[in-house]
Amino acid sequence: MGLVESGKMPKPLTKLLNLSRKYSIWAYQWGLACCAIEMGAAFASPRYDVMRLGVIPFPASPRQADLVVISGTVTDKIVPAIKRLYEQMPDPKYVISMGSCTNCGGPYWDSYSVTKGVDQIVPVDVYVPGCPPRPEALLEGIVLLQERIQNEDMTERWAGDQDRPEPIVVG
Amino acid sequence: MADDTAATTTTAADTLEVASDDRREALLAVFSEHLGDAVLDSHLKVGQALWIRVATAAWGEAALVARNEAGLEWFDFLSAIDWLPSPYGRYEDSSVDVPFPPPMPERSSAVPGYAGGDSRLQVLASVARPGTDLRVLLKVDVPDDDPRVPTWIRAYSGAAWHERETHEMFGIGFDGNADLRHIYLPSEFEGHPLRKEFPLLARVVKPWPGIVDVEPMPGEDPDDDDDATVAEGSET
Repeated sequence: MGLVESGKMPKPLTKLLNLSRKYSIWAYQWGLACCAIEMGAAFASPRYDVMRLGVIPFPASPRQADLVVISGTVTDKIVPAIKRLYEQMPDPKYVISMGSCTNCGGPYWDSYSVTKGVDQIVPVDVYVPGCPPRPEALLEGIVLLQERIQNEDMTERWAGDQDRPEPIVVG
Repeated sequence: MADDTAATTTTAADTLEVASDDRREALLAVFSEHLGDAVLDSHLKVGQALWIRVATAAWGEAALVARNEAGLEWFDFLSAIDWLPSPYGRYEDSSVDVPFPPPMPERSSAVPGYAGGDSRLQVLASVARPGTDLRVLLKVDVPDDDPRVPTWIRAYSGAAWHERETHEMFGIGFDGNADLRHIYLPSEFEGHPLRKEFPLLARVVKPWPGIVDVEPMPGEDPDDDDDATVAEGSET
């Protein structure tokens, strides 16, 4: 894929590749608390069925993942693990922060052990508010992320973490 | 029928009130026999529970007695209590936070629980006899100037992790337990968060705003909503 690195991507090819990426997101599940139950409902249950959106929620390792859904209470102790997880993922990579705890600490805003927002550690693309959010909210977050992927300029995005677009907030 | 049941229950409760508790008294006697003067105080709730407070030096011995002599073979938990009243008051009751750093409360205003106590910190542990409802809550005073007590791992190896947690949360040492690394907190964490004077930094940076954003429950009288709005406005 020397084209992307050279910065001379033909527009139709970008469109085609973005379409492919959009409908084949491998999502890594990083469930840390009760939000993981809603994530499980959205990802693994036939009622919500995330696979109809082209999301495959069972990569064997972060190295295969395009997207990580961090759902639940992020404590200071698990921060190194999340950092490593993010660094292991290949570019281009996306992060969905699901639930109040992951977004900002939520009900544990004054705790001595809880990180007040996962965006202090890794860049977040989509915030899904709620305590916990319904599975539909997570699905909407994924749909909005797919829209963004579709309209992405791959050369810009793959250049690195600079000039990231404003994160999406669901709802 | 319902009345009959209620009457029976009341009678049973009354009987329990006055009845003596031979089994728990026997348990207490076992501790007194083996520990002697080291049993400082005890509290017996007839038919329910037994509290025993032992001297600090005899804390490790008390565990061995509980396991080997009293037959309390099941280790439930080990933890600690900080009897100091919180210098920050009760957050939920105040509309704004106490200024930081807050004045330290008087040590004497602390009220120890069952079986008394002379120190600010107390270690407590619960042990039980499997297959019965017999359970003993053992307590020990932790010296204020040198917060260390003997370890329990020689009697109950499962106490090791509980002692690690108590060590990181309260800063209490356990003589004989060589592995007191942090268990829940990050290893570089400083301070003992379950001590009452531990500051919650988030609250220091951004004080508790009091109750805001009160929405009426569905079906509630809309007049209440107006009152809440007025009260909110006057606060700000």
